[in-house]
Amino acid sequence: MSSQPILQVYDLTKRFGNLVAVNNVSFHINEGEIVGLIGPNGAGKTTLFNAITGLYTPDSGRVVFKGVDTTGLLPHKACQLGMSRTFQVAQSFTSMTVEDAVRVGAYNRCDEKTVAAKVDEVVAFCDLEDIRGQQCGDLGLAPLRRVELARALATDPDLLLLDEAGAGLTPTELAGLMDMLQRLKEDRNVTLCVVEHVMKMVMGICGRIIVLDYGEVIAEGSPDEICTNERVIEAYLGERAVR
Amino acid sequence: MDTIIQNTINGALMGCIYALITLGLSIIYGVMNVVNFAHGDFVMLSMYFTFWVGTLWSFDAVATPAVTFPLLFLFGIFAYYVLIDGTLRQKYVTQIAVTVGLQTLLRALAQMIWKAQPRALPYSIIQGNFQVGGITIMLSRLITAAVSIVAIAGVYFFLTKTWPGRAIRAASDDLDAASLTGVNYKRTYALAFGLGSALTALAGGLLMSFQQVDPTMGLRFGLLSWCILALAGLGSIPGLLISGVIVGGTEALTMSLWDPRARSLIVYLIFVLVLWLRPRGLFGRK
Amino acid sequence: MRSKQRTIKTSLLLAGLAIVLLVPLLLGRNQYHMVLVTTVLLYGVLATAWNIIGGMGGQLDLAAGAYLGLGAYTAGTLLLRWNVSPWLGMIVGGLVATGFAMLVGLPLFRFGVKEVWYALSSSALVEVLRVLFQMWEEVGGPTERYLPYHVSSWYHLRFASYVPFYYILLAMLLIALFLNVRISRSKLGYYLFALGENEDAAEVLGVDARACKLRALMIYAFLVGAAGGVYACLYGFIHPNFFSSAMSTETAILGIVGGMGITYGPLVAAVLLVSFREFLRASLGGQLEGLYLAVYAVILILIALFRPQGIATFIRDAYGKAMSRLQVTGEKDVVSADSPGL
Repeated sequence: MSSQPILQVYDLTKRFGNLVAVNNVSFHINEGEIVGLIGPNGAGKTTLFNAITGLYTPDSGRVVFKGVDTTGLLPHKACQLGMSRTFQVAQSFTSMTVEDAVRVGAYNRCDEKTVAAKVDEVVAFCDLEDIRGQQCGDLGLAPLRRVELARALATDPDLLLLDEAGAGLTPTELAGLMDMLQRLKEDRNVTLCVVEHVMKMVMGICGRIIVLDYGEVIAEGSPDEICTNERVIEAYLGERAVR
Repeated sequence: MDTIIQNTINGALMGCIYALITLGLSIIYGVMNVVNFAHGDFVMLSMYFTFWVGTLWSFDAVATPAVTFPLLFLFGIFAYYVLIDGTLRQKYVTQIAVTVGLQTLLRALAQMIWKAQPRALPYSIIQGNFQVGGITIMLSRLITAAVSIVAIAGVYFFLTKTWPGRAIRAASDDLDAASLTGVNYKRTYALAFGLGSALTALAGGLLMSFQQVDPTMGLRFGLLSWCILALAGLGSIPGLLISGVIVGGTEALTMSLWDPRARSLIVYLIFVLVLWLRPRGLFGRK
Repeated sequence: MRSKQRTIKTSLLLAGLAIVLLVPLLLGRNQYHMVLVTTVLLYGVLATAWNIIGGMGGQLDLAAGAYLGLGAYTAGTLLLRWNVSPWLGMIVGGLVATGFAMLVGLPLFRFGVKEVWYALSSSALVEVLRVLFQMWEEVGGPTERYLPYHVSSWYHLRFASYVPFYYILLAMLLIALFLNVRISRSKLGYYLFALGENEDAAEVLGVDARACKLRALMIYAFLVGAAGGVYACLYGFIHPNFFSSAMSTETAILGIVGGMGITYGPLVAAVLLVSFREFLRASLGGQLEGLYLAVYAVILILIALFRPQGIATFIRDAYGKAMSRLQVTGEKDVVSADSPGL
């Protein structure tokens, strides 16, 4: 397990008209890490994800993935290089079955001969065997999340960015997700970056945490360090809480 | 040379009516993100209604909107509830499909009822022309352009100063926030659709004062309004007017320099170029 | 269990094929009936081809008439000027249509022209070509250009009856269906379906939206262009009205009503709706010209509102029920086992 940086972000800025959503953000993620990206609502986390994965073009700054400058690269190119993501609001393929949806992702790396095996493998890993033939539009929230994850996983990513994958899950479901993510890191060497509000998950699996507020990085460190960081507490709870 | 300038000016004046038509389309698109495929055929429909009202009751073309405006308004509201409301949550293909169906239906009905013969009203009070320098300007064009501008200004006033108008604008900006302040989205959408449709009645009446109508008009006005909408972008009514004038003038210029049949070519070309190079239009906000 | 299912499916298909092949023998004498089934086949080809870009790719293309007309004019002009057989002419026609599709599609997709605006611009495209060819005296012009007359000639694709056209179009339809099936089971097919469902999600899964849409557009254009070559021979002349908005809209309607993405969906719609239309035309004559189109429109609206998945889903569900009644399978998803398109 090396500590080579797999993703490096330099001075990334993204504006929408007068609003600066992401302001000069710099950070890096090392191979094999699970990094948490937290911050109050509106801090710019999803915008940051979008700018890194190519859904938005940054106004300035650079994104370097596996040593290659990928700033402003089209989303499908980023995926082909090994960077995948999930969405905050599940963007499902409503009329497709679960296994077909996973298959779409699998074609990223597989050809016609190997794709079926990959689908089976991912379906098993994400515990989707029972519902593999069902239409995505008929699924409830938790299974839908697993499908979302499975799809992204099928693309065989080196870096997986998860946007609020833990939201709205019951404690059991959450534990299952956390377990799955740990297995991803350990068994398959997938580096993870998770945007989260569910603190249990952040504290539970993240080795390092980056805190965003108003589009800027305000703190970075281990879970323990972040918990006691004054600026972080202030950002979440306001000035009074610090005192 | 003079003829060219003259035609271009008359074309630019026509552009004001085009802008009025497009305003209706813009309201509907801006509010509920639905492009009414049938909009051009609404114009055609209004022109036929104008013909009927004008012939049955001997109205002058310019007076017919008194009848056709409320008629199209109600028709618009009806169309909204029957067709659009049910498809708002569906995939966009289904949404478009419904308005394509409406377009096809209107065109077919027009064909069946009025056959392929063009219909026109006997001369309106506004006719004749006058000279400015060496250029002849047709009175009909000038007056209809003026009326269109007044109407557009009126709608602008409605949208910015009256409560239902502001509700419409609020709904187009942010539906959720608007709902929180008490705006009933269904009624607002219906109102917007009705208003957008009714404006075609106004334009139709003006057009019938110097033009004739046949079932293929829907195609022509449809393309014109989409092109002007794309060129103008959303959010600016003055921009819409300017875009209408540009397109109207360019169309006329092309017709006199090249070939009258080429009018749709140039409009299409502008349309596609705008879509490629400047999707949010010249004056668009988003 | 699966193999029994397969056997039933295959035998049904073979039976269907046999019937279809024998139709001209049964109806051959009756010119009117032959016109009817040939027209059904023609629209079947168009709509099945449309399924690739519209049903699978989710792009509401309203420019079928553009490609049809281009194919017709190419084949027709080649025949008129250089006595090139329409057999070759229709291939070239297909290629010309494909080239044009690339010309139009490349910028459109590159600049991300999506959804409504794609539909609008494709709708306008047909009209533009019509006017262009009307103005282009050399090749087109406002009147019909008659193709050389022969009572019966395989070389010139002119025949005394509709029967040979029937078989030619049938062959094209089978090719179109075959392509549909192959694509829907391949990477391109899955990618297209994903794009039609949710373009953003598809892109982050590695789907190159522009390339896929363009490819689908080009395949569709080729098929329609080739059909255009046959169309010209069927009528015996070429005319700018071949660039028909009505036909383009009809094609899309058949594709949508039949069932977007379902391989045999558009064909089912073609059989039902086109037969109905010809029936109307025969009983009412030229009187109510627009009536069939009005009915089409109403059906489209009803389907869009109440059964957006298309009428082929009725067949699919009925088939599924029949299979489970016969206890051929214990699984829930009987028919959709193979791919998203069946």
